[in-house]
Amino acid sequence: MSSTEIGYIRKELPEKIKTIGLTLFVVGTALGIIGFLIDPQRASLSYLVTFMFLVSIGVGSLFLVALEYAVGADWSTPFRRISEFLAAVIPFLIILVIPLLFNLKYIFPWTHKSIVDSSVMLKGKTPYLNVPFFIIRSIGIFLIWWVFYYFIIRNSRKQDTTKDQYLTKKNINISSGFIPVFGISITAIAFDWMMSLEPNWFSTIFGVYYFSGTVWCALAALTLIVILLNEHGYLHSKIKSEHYYTLGLLMFAFTVFWAYIAFSQYLLIWYADLPDETIWFMHRWVGGWKVVSLAIVFTHFIFPFFYLLSYNVKMQAKKLKFIAIWILCAHFLDLYWLVMPGMSTNGYQYSFSWMDLVFPVAAVGLIILIFKSLSHKYNLLPIGDPKLQRGLDFHL
Amino acid sequence: MNIDYTKELVLVEGNPRLADIDEIITRPLTQPPTRKFYIALSISGAALLIGAYSLWLTLYYGIGMWGNNIPVGWAFDITNFVFWIGIGHAGTLISAILFLLRQRWRTGIARFAEGMTIFAVMTAGIFPVIHLGRPWLAGYLIPYPNQHLLWPNFVSPLLWDVFAVSTYFTVSLMFWYMGLIPDFAILRDKTVDKIKKTIYSIFSLGWRHSNRHWRHYEKTYMIMAGLATPLVLSVHTIVSFDFAVSLIPGWHTTIFPPYFVAGAIYSGFAMVMTVLIFVRKVFDMENIITLNHLERMAKVMLLTGSLVAYAYLMEFFIAWYSQVPAEQYDFWARVVGPYRWAWYFMISCNALIPQLIWFKKVRRSVTMLFVISICANIGMWFERFVIIVQSLSRDYLPSSWHMFTPTLVDFGVLTGSFGLFFTLVLLFAKTMPVISIVETKSVLEGSQPSVHGGSHHE
Amino acid sequence: MNENKVLHSVAALFDTPDKIINAARKVKDAGYTMFDVNTSYPVHGMDKAMGLGQSKIGYVTLFFGFAGAVFIFLFMGWSMAINYPYIVGGKPFFPYQAFIPITFEVTVLCGSIATVVGMLAVFFNLPFLSHPIHGSNYIKEVSVDKFGVVIEAEDPLFDKNKVFEFFKNLGAGKIEFIYEPEKQAIKILQPKFIVFLAVVAALTSFSTYFTLNKLMYIVPFNWMDNQKKSNPQSETNFFYDGYAMRTPVEGTVARGFMPYPFHEQALPSEPLANPTLPTKQILKIGQEKFLTFCSPCHGNYAEGVSRLMGQFPPGPTLHSAKIIGYSDGMIYNIITNGQNAMPSYAYQIPREQRWAIIDYIRVLQRAQNPKPSDFQAIKELNKESGKNVVN
Repeated sequence: MSSTEIGYIRKELPEKIKTIGLTLFVVGTALGIIGFLIDPQRASLSYLVTFMFLVSIGVGSLFLVALEYAVGADWSTPFRRISEFLAAVIPFLIILVIPLLFNLKYIFPWTHKSIVDSSVMLKGKTPYLNVPFFIIRSIGIFLIWWVFYYFIIRNSRKQDTTKDQYLTKKNINISSGFIPVFGISITAIAFDWMMSLEPNWFSTIFGVYYFSGTVWCALAALTLIVILLNEHGYLHSKIKSEHYYTLGLLMFAFTVFWAYIAFSQYLLIWYADLPDETIWFMHRWVGGWKVVSLAIVFTHFIFPFFYLLSYNVKMQAKKLKFIAIWILCAHFLDLYWLVMPGMSTNGYQYSFSWMDLVFPVAAVGLIILIFKSLSHKYNLLPIGDPKLQRGLDFHL
Repeated sequence: MNIDYTKELVLVEGNPRLADIDEIITRPLTQPPTRKFYIALSISGAALLIGAYSLWLTLYYGIGMWGNNIPVGWAFDITNFVFWIGIGHAGTLISAILFLLRQRWRTGIARFAEGMTIFAVMTAGIFPVIHLGRPWLAGYLIPYPNQHLLWPNFVSPLLWDVFAVSTYFTVSLMFWYMGLIPDFAILRDKTVDKIKKTIYSIFSLGWRHSNRHWRHYEKTYMIMAGLATPLVLSVHTIVSFDFAVSLIPGWHTTIFPPYFVAGAIYSGFAMVMTVLIFVRKVFDMENIITLNHLERMAKVMLLTGSLVAYAYLMEFFIAWYSQVPAEQYDFWARVVGPYRWAWYFMISCNALIPQLIWFKKVRRSVTMLFVISICANIGMWFERFVIIVQSLSRDYLPSSWHMFTPTLVDFGVLTGSFGLFFTLVLLFAKTMPVISIVETKSVLEGSQPSVHGGSHHE
Repeated sequence: MNENKVLHSVAALFDTPDKIINAARKVKDAGYTMFDVNTSYPVHGMDKAMGLGQSKIGYVTLFFGFAGAVFIFLFMGWSMAINYPYIVGGKPFFPYQAFIPITFEVTVLCGSIATVVGMLAVFFNLPFLSHPIHGSNYIKEVSVDKFGVVIEAEDPLFDKNKVFEFFKNLGAGKIEFIYEPEKQAIKILQPKFIVFLAVVAALTSFSTYFTLNKLMYIVPFNWMDNQKKSNPQSETNFFYDGYAMRTPVEGTVARGFMPYPFHEQALPSEPLANPTLPTKQILKIGQEKFLTFCSPCHGNYAEGVSRLMGQFPPGPTLHSAKIIGYSDGMIYNIITNGQNAMPSYAYQIPREQRWAIIDYIRVLQRAQNPKPSDFQAIKELNKESGKNVVN
């Protein structure tokens, strides 16, 4: 189907993109393998940061898709397919997690019997923090995500040809079911893969913290791709600045939401001043980490907040593109800040490694490859969706 | 019921004309009060009198009239405060957040919810003041250059509360009044009664429906919504700081801010739902406050109720995971301790009963929704009771554990708070347009020019 | 009709939103500038049709919100860290983290008040109850379900008949001429008003007086004046002797009080030794206390030249050989018990300070009678520091 009454003309993405993606992926992966050979611990942690970034993009995008169905939003229907393509990272997570599972001993202190035995606290946590249960949890969650991904996306794609409204209804039900599952699972992932890096530390809000970053990141990825595609006419002429504005507004909202969650966590720990809890922030303040922490405040909140405050910025594709890239980098930095300071073997010192930059290159390449191959097979617009026309007509 | 997803849901049923809207909404204002109204008013008035008497006893003899003790220094007073502040959150959420999210179904319920916000905050504001014991000294909380040359302690979350609640009240009131100005103008032009006309003229400030005004008005409404949205989150966040910055087990946990906000919205929506189910029946507004409205509100309740359940889960998990014995004991005591009945109320009303909303049959049954909303109100009151009283009565030192038993005066003040709230709500419903005439008109089928996409969007 | 009234504007009513949009566009295109559209709810696309741009009110919010934030943040910092430095809960003097909640609240408060009040009072110039449009049929119909457009007489292109024709061609339902209301002189000093003012003044004064002087002193607002306890120096029937205060039991020693074993004895001084060392700090205290308590009689340098100018028996010089020969304990005894005309200073000067004064007196005595080795020491000090230390 090349054109429909909606006025969507399907165009193939240029082959060049595939080359770029492949190059990035191959180079990144090759260097990454070298990294694992040279310094497996550093490489594992660097890999973990990128892995969490991919989780953010994948499951965050699936959440956006589910959210659109569940709340019945129409403005975002024209670019729901973009989020669906990004969510295609989810099936790969099960493969991508394997290098981490083989290197758990480099990442998590609680995998070492000597460390656990020396601490009453850690001993008490072993029913939850033990390797078999950990692996079951992670794989289980990735599988659950994959199942939801499979059904939601299958129905959505089927609708392109059948135009069956019943599929929307079905997806609304699946999506409503996915949202609570997502809430619990993203929390478990955040607790397992990031909070337990410093196993003595705990914070009830940590799952919400990671959630806020996830959605923010997925929104930025969506915005960036929508604008890039639409500028070159791959989407639809009716997608205009008012759609961009709404995306910008959502990014702004999540900037504030993240700041709210992060500040709540910080203030409560700072105020109560319990050594068990403040140690986590101490690791992020001493040993060279102060600069990174301050950079988080600036890149993750202050700059995007004031930048996105303006009406004009949200209406302009070019400026939104810039802030979307900024947000993706800021979220990566945030994950880096969550993971790296817990590395106890170097005395909690900040140290830069070339490996930190290698894995994201491979990740970007991977996303491009997935996107390209899916866009080859499917429409970039959900042309069978009953809400599409309303979405295209959307105005403020 | 099959939904056509290519079309939006109809917001106003029965296809009324613009003039009918005026008629339907202003009917309670123009007709003499019915017997039902007087019955309702006398019930709420009686509750208010009970409260006034209990309050007088409290003031005359001191807060020894309450069951508060050491270590349970906060009990019904602060429970009621947090409860009512929470009720207040739905109004701003509906009027501000749903406005920003372009959820146009809010039009039918926004004004009413905003009014409830103001009355709930007024009710809530009483409690921290009377709980001072000598409430006439509350003025020292305001930072003014006083004769003691002292400033309030800006580091205390209790002072943050003063700022948060007073800001919230002021902003809500302005927001509410701003929405009422054009409606007062419509009433002014409609009424023939001279006294009413004078009153409406004064309150409408001479509004003349000018489009040169609408231009700024709409922008201002947007800005106010933008300011009120983080404000409403901040208020209950700061209320939660009152507890969470301390070291009491069960209080000091980082999820408190979003958890309290979700709980507040949950209880607020429950209260709005309870009241609206009455109002739409009593004033024949089923066409404007439709079943669709109630269904959507139920969905918000399901969402927030589940968020609260998520927070319960996190608290329990982290209490165990933290391996801090005091925390572990506190949460275990909630389940098996002396206040377990309160905890069972809380869990069943907040986490379990709202799950019924998953079923479409329940969502579209007014009776069921009424029952669920009442349960939610009860559950949320008990949630605050569990957090405050249970945690305080089971502190770090077993030697200082002490039970709290409420007195009759405690219950009297609680009854009085409901009396005050419902009296104000009833008077509001009788004297002001409880649904925004302007907004309802603007979402009516055919009320917007067709060249601009019909009435599809705001 | 209405020949002698001043025409304010011509108003036309339309039935549907489409028509009013069209009418507004036409009016704008015809070059009128002082026109307005009245609709009982905002009609979308009207701003564009009327040629109005984006509202600039957001800048008001931004400015006042930001001003409020900066003010309250600095104010909190000033009051907690500078005006009355105070450590709360082990937090530093300037706990900026804890200021964020209030800063946020005040930002919202200032921003929203400025926006709403600014919009109503400055942008719209409300309240404006005497606008000619009020009370016309036109606004009554607009209020319900009609859509109106007015062209004001002050518009440079205005011509009564032309505008009438213009509206007619646009398909207006009704066309109305709106006249300025007749000016009425308002007399401020009407007797009614003066009586009203007087009543308000009387009521305000009475209620203020009653609240501050009566209401606030009845139970329970009695400011804790009325408590079930006996105040010092008052009568009570609780004790047999009628005094509220009790005398201590024989031999009671107050906390922190050490009885002086040589009370009212001239000598001996043997067991008394100076417990202080003549450090700089002690000497500083000694100097201060000496100047306060001793110098009025003994002179600023203990030379016996009194500032009292003969109003009181002059104190002797303390540089006499006799007093230089006194032991520290002897002087201490004199300060404590008094001697001749000199009263006891035991109640004015605490023990440690008495000893400090003695140290200082020794310094003064040595300054009057230096040894050669002292000069040597000063010379060496001068050499070391390169300047005159003694001065």
